[in-house]
Amino acid sequence: MEEKHTWDWRTELKEIPVSEWTSRYNWVEDPCMTPDGESVAAIVNLDEMAFGICVNGELWDGEHEKAWHLVALPGNRIAAAVCRDEEWSLVVDGQAWENQFDFIWNLSATPDGKHISIAFQKDMEYGMAVDDTCWEESFENMTGMTLGDTGKTAAVVQVAPMAAADINAFAKGVFAVAQDGRFGEERFLNAWDISFDATCDNLAWAVRLDREQYSVAVNGTVWDSRFQQVWQPVFCGDAVVAPVRYQGQWRLFMNDEPFWLNGYANLWRLKPSADGRHLAAIVAQEFGRWTVAEDDQVWPVTWDTMVRDIYYSDDKDTLLAVFKDCGAWGLARNGTAWNLRCDKIFTPDMNRDGSVVAVGFENEGQFFVAVNDQVIAGPYEAMGDPVVNPEGDKVLVKGIKNGVYRRQVVTL
Amino acid sequence: MNPTENTLDQAVEEGLERLTQERITRTVNQVLEKETGARFTAYVETCMRCGLCADACSFFLSNDRDPNRMPAGKVKQTVWEMLEKKGRVSKDFLRRAVRIAHLECNVCRRCSMYCPFGIDIAYMMLLVRRIIHKLEITPLYIQDTVNSHSATLNQMWVKEDEWIDTLQWQEEDAREEFEDLRIPLDKPGADIMYSVIAPEPKFQAGLIYQAAVIMHAAGMNWTMPSRPGWDNSNMAMFTGDNEISGRIARAFYETAADLNVRRIVMGECGHAFRSVYDVGNRWDAWAMPPFEVVHALEFYHELLTQGRITITEKYGKKVTLHDPCNVSRGRGLHDMAREVVGMTCSDFVEMTPNREHNYCCGAGGGVINCGPPYKGERMVNNRVKAEQLRDTGAQVLIAPCHNCHSGLEDIVHHYELNMEVKFLGDIIYETMEKRVYTPGV
Repeated sequence: MEEKHTWDWRTELKEIPVSEWTSRYNWVEDPCMTPDGESVAAIVNLDEMAFGICVNGELWDGEHEKAWHLVALPGNRIAAAVCRDEEWSLVVDGQAWENQFDFIWNLSATPDGKHISIAFQKDMEYGMAVDDTCWEESFENMTGMTLGDTGKTAAVVQVAPMAAADINAFAKGVFAVAQDGRFGEERFLNAWDISFDATCDNLAWAVRLDREQYSVAVNGTVWDSRFQQVWQPVFCGDAVVAPVRYQGQWRLFMNDEPFWLNGYANLWRLKPSADGRHLAAIVAQEFGRWTVAEDDQVWPVTWDTMVRDIYYSDDKDTLLAVFKDCGAWGLARNGTAWNLRCDKIFTPDMNRDGSVVAVGFENEGQFFVAVNDQVIAGPYEAMGDPVVNPEGDKVLVKGIKNGVYRRQVVTL
Repeated sequence: MNPTENTLDQAVEEGLERLTQERITRTVNQVLEKETGARFTAYVETCMRCGLCADACSFFLSNDRDPNRMPAGKVKQTVWEMLEKKGRVSKDFLRRAVRIAHLECNVCRRCSMYCPFGIDIAYMMLLVRRIIHKLEITPLYIQDTVNSHSATLNQMWVKEDEWIDTLQWQEEDAREEFEDLRIPLDKPGADIMYSVIAPEPKFQAGLIYQAAVIMHAAGMNWTMPSRPGWDNSNMAMFTGDNEISGRIARAFYETAADLNVRRIVMGECGHAFRSVYDVGNRWDAWAMPPFEVVHALEFYHELLTQGRITITEKYGKKVTLHDPCNVSRGRGLHDMAREVVGMTCSDFVEMTPNREHNYCCGAGGGVINCGPPYKGERMVNNRVKAEQLRDTGAQVLIAPCHNCHSGLEDIVHHYELNMEVKFLGDIIYETMEKRVYTPGV
């Protein structure tokens, strides 16, 4: 998110009235806001089977029979899936792709926002398209679509026919992993949870080899070890690490060898630090008690419900966890929970060293922003995720209040 | 290959053909010794063979009190013999075990209530199914649903575009009634994620339509996920494929987490409720569901008692209510169900026995999912249920569970009971006022 430097951090308040849209259109769907807060957009109904995309009060050119999947992307672009004459396409910042499909979904973008991918179905065949370029080969079925950081794509595809209820064909393995539409010789009973490395030159995924045996495949080569279950493997530097159920416990393996010493009741959602030197994971050290482990060291606090996700700061010194305990959501930083408890909590953001953490949350239907455990803005009727500026002295708040969208820069 | 008295379907027979004695013995002993604990030991050592469980079982009652069909008899013919023979059981024994565990037990847990010690015989049958799974002799049709779960995370091979397209189709149709009705997809931060089982988009899309009308009329802040994880069913739970069962439950709850909803409302399905509330979540080390899970029956009760939906005129036909095992005996929602029926129907008659003592529909526990080859024997095994239904004299049978619904349809047809089978949602949709709730109005 280096482009944050280029955003307008000086103007304290910009406002766009949005409630008036409801008087101009039959109905207005849920608004979304670009990361930089400069645009608020919604799908609007113009007439029977006529939809438009309204951005900052202006309609993009063109009416569509259907529209869905409106997303604000990294890079501050806005995209939506639209349909006309029963042909679907992707429209990005008002410009439609040339390719048309029978259906599209699973819209994704790279972290820098430069590449956009979708899954498509055309003539009952399935594939992916990136930046309006389709895979050359399409398949009978497709799941687990994945977009790598440099714009490469991969998915689990069905490469052999299988009649209804043909469990013998299934048992032989009809699935492969296709990268940019091309697949190798390997067939699997199941393949799941594809990960790219940072360069997108390498792929790893979880596989099931027969009714009971699970493992990890790296560029199609299956580890020698066999496990009772495997969650998503990830690349950590040059190594592949994977949570595996082994001898009755969840353990972490690296490159086909035991890595962390401790076993867990569960272990998933691995998160390497940006430099690949540290690795964190959500763990249940005992049944029903959830926490975070970093480099196999467990935080001294546990929660009874779940840990939803974890986030490293760019300098890897700060690790955040969004957790739920006793029915309420909260946020913890490096093993210490904030006092904040709420009905819903959204995705946190922080500056490079993690000294300033901002997050949006909801209590009793109203939205607020908290920074370092102090509420700094709200209530709002709707909200986008707040953003901390690189210097850590300002927070961008994006909320709708009294029918007006407010882009507010709060100086800390 | 059609099953006969001495053979089962192709998947079972071909699987048996492949087995070696070494693999059978190793697998049986591995499951019984490594995958059980104090609970299993207590059950095995506590059962006094008193037979009080017999009259609890609809299979026993439907088959002229055949002792082979009494719950303790089923354990005797499976688990006890496996233990006595230290796993050295024959293929013929396993064929019989498949029939008992998959076709002659609904894992309804009625017998546990009649056991003086509360022994969970359903757990013992599920343990047998676990062995069957590991030996790869699970009946064909239910295995195919588990294959589908493993590949697509839904039980009916519904492709990802088909799911979304079906929701959009139902949304369009429902706009004929409410011009601005929406089925909001992937709405982050919605209060409710509405979740269904795969047969709804596959065969019963009208139920999604009805749910959308109810949500819209009640003014709920809701969403449905476009991504896999939308299907709350879990046939792997019934075949002993615990690993796939855990994967299904994880996807379900992580979908809710990614959408950041407050709670999950699910359609009228019983086994799915148990899978997300009790079984799948625990394999993932969630002691309790990480999100509040509200069965449709509870949700309707909430909407009616809060006045979010109102009934224009109560349903007039004579109705009876079937209590699904997993939401009644398993969750205790039977009185709430009666209150919903009371608020929506004017002529209600109880079936006997009822509430937590109700007989199983005969389809649940994955029995109906073993498919058409076994429908004939399922009908024989459902005789006592048919008699119970006939005695009510009702015109309409309300069954707030998908498996029950399908099984009861078969019973009604086979025994010529001349009853309509409906979901609670059908009744509510038919009788509700079609206007959008406004607080204070």
